Amino acid sequence: MKTRTYLAILLVIIPVQASLFSPLSLAGIKPDLAIALIYIIGLLTGPTEACLAGMAVGLVQDIGSASLLGMNATTLGLAGVGAGYLGRRVLDIASPMNVIFLASFSLMQGLVISLFLQTFYGAVPFFSLLITRLVPEAVYTGLLGTFLLRFMNRRNVMSLLMRRSLLKE
Amino acid sequence: MPGFIVRHAKLFILLALFLVMFWLVTFQVKAGRLTFMEGPVLAISGFFERVFTAPFRFVGSAANHYVFRVRTSRENDRLKQELDRLRLENSITNELLIENERLREVLGFAKLRPLSSVMAQVIAKDSSPSSRTMIVDHGTTHGIEKDMAVITAAGVVGKVQTSLPGTAKVLLLTDPGSTLAVRVQRNREEGLLEGKLDRCALKYVSYYADIQEGDLLVTSGLDGIYPKGLPVATVVKVSKHEATAFQTVIAKPAVGLSRLEEVLVLTK
Repeated sequence: MKTRTYLAILLVIIPVQASLFSPLSLAGIKPDLAIALIYIIGLLTGPTEACLAGMAVGLVQDIGSASLLGMNATTLGLAGVGAGYLGRRVLDIASPMNVIFLASFSLMQGLVISLFLQTFYGAVPFFSLLITRLVPEAVYTGLLGTFLLRFMNRRNVMSLLMRRSLLKE
Repeated sequence: MPGFIVRHAKLFILLALFLVMFWLVTFQVKAGRLTFMEGPVLAISGFFERVFTAPFRFVGSAANHYVFRVRTSRENDRLKQELDRLRLENSITNELLIENERLREVLGFAKLRPLSSVMAQVIAKDSSPSSRTMIVDHGTTHGIEKDMAVITAAGVVGKVQTSLPGTAKVLLLTDPGSTLAVRVQRNREEGLLEGKLDRCALKYVSYYADIQEGDLLVTSGLDGIYPKGLPVATVVKVSKHEATAFQTVIAKPAVGLSRLEEVLVLTK
C-alpha cells in the first residue's frame, strides 16, 4: 500500500470507528473496522506488511482508547500475519470465503482479549460475552469487511491505494 | 548462525516486536496503564470526530426542532403533567433536605455541598474492542477535568480519563480499567465494582455477604470521585465457590451505555 494510504488510515481509524460507525450499531453491536482493514491489507500485500500495519493501527487504537498499550497492537499484528498467509496461499480477493475467514479472525481477536482479561483481572462473564457480543460482532465485521473488499477490488480504487509494484503483481 | 539470522531478518524483527508488545502489556498489568501520546491522539481524533458527527447532529437537531413538530402538542401536554408532578416531588425533597441539614448540624456533621454539572454531547464511542470509552464535545474550557464523575438521570456512566480544551475522554464503568466503590442499597454491603466489557463484577465481597439477584448497587462515595447514593448497576448473577473466601457477583449497568447521547459531568 502507498505510504499516504497508511498515514490516512492511522489518522482516521479512531474517529471513523468511534463516530461514523455509531449509526451502524445494531443493539449496541457495531463492526470492527480495524480488523477488517488489516485483513484486507493482509490479502493484498502479504504477512510482513500486514503485520506491521496491524501493529501500527493497534497501537493507535490502544493510545486513543483505554486499552493497555500493546493489547490491540499484538492481536491486530497476529491477524495481519494470518491474513497475509491466507492471501498468499489459500484465498483470492473475490472469494466468498472471506466472510467466514474475517468473522473467524474477529472472533479470535475477541476471544484472545477476553481470555487475557480473565487471566489477569478475573470474573469476566465469558459465555454471556461470547453469545451477546463476540459472535454477533464477528458476523457483522465479516459482512462489512467483505463489502469493503468488493468495493476495493475495483481497479480504480485499488490504483489509488496500492503501490505500483504491488498492482503489477 | 549469523547467515541464518540475516536470511530471516524480517521474521526476527517481527518476533522481537511481538515480544516487546507482550512485555509492554504484562508490564502495564503490574504498573498501571501508560498514557504515552494520549493527548495528541485525542486532539486529532476529537477534531475528526467533531467534523464527522457535525452533519448528523445538524440533521438530527433540524429534524427534532422543525420537521417532527407534529408530536409537539401531545409532548407538551405530557411534559406539563410531568412538571407538575416533579414540582410536588421537589417541594417534598426540599423539605427533607432542610430537615437533613438541620439534623446534620445538630449531630455536628459537615454540611452537604451542592453539585454543579456541565452537560456534554457524546460524539464518539468504543474505538477499540478491548476497552469501553467515549468522547464528549466539552473539555477543560468548560471546566471538565480528569477524574470528574460522569452521570445521567439513570445513574453513573463513568469518569473523565483525559481532558483537552474542546474534548474529553470518558472511561465507562464497563471498561476493564474502571473501578468504583459501591454499596448494596438494600443492606449496605460494600464492594469494589470492576468493568468487564459489557458487564461489571463486584469484587471482594465476602462469601457470607447477603447479595441477591436484582439488588441495586449505588455509589458509596468512598472513592472521592462519585457522590454517595447514585445508582450504578443491578446484580444479575451471584455465584459462590467454596474454594474461595469471596463470591462472584455480576452486575448490569443502570445506564444503557450503548445508547447515550448526552451526559452530565459533575464539576464540583
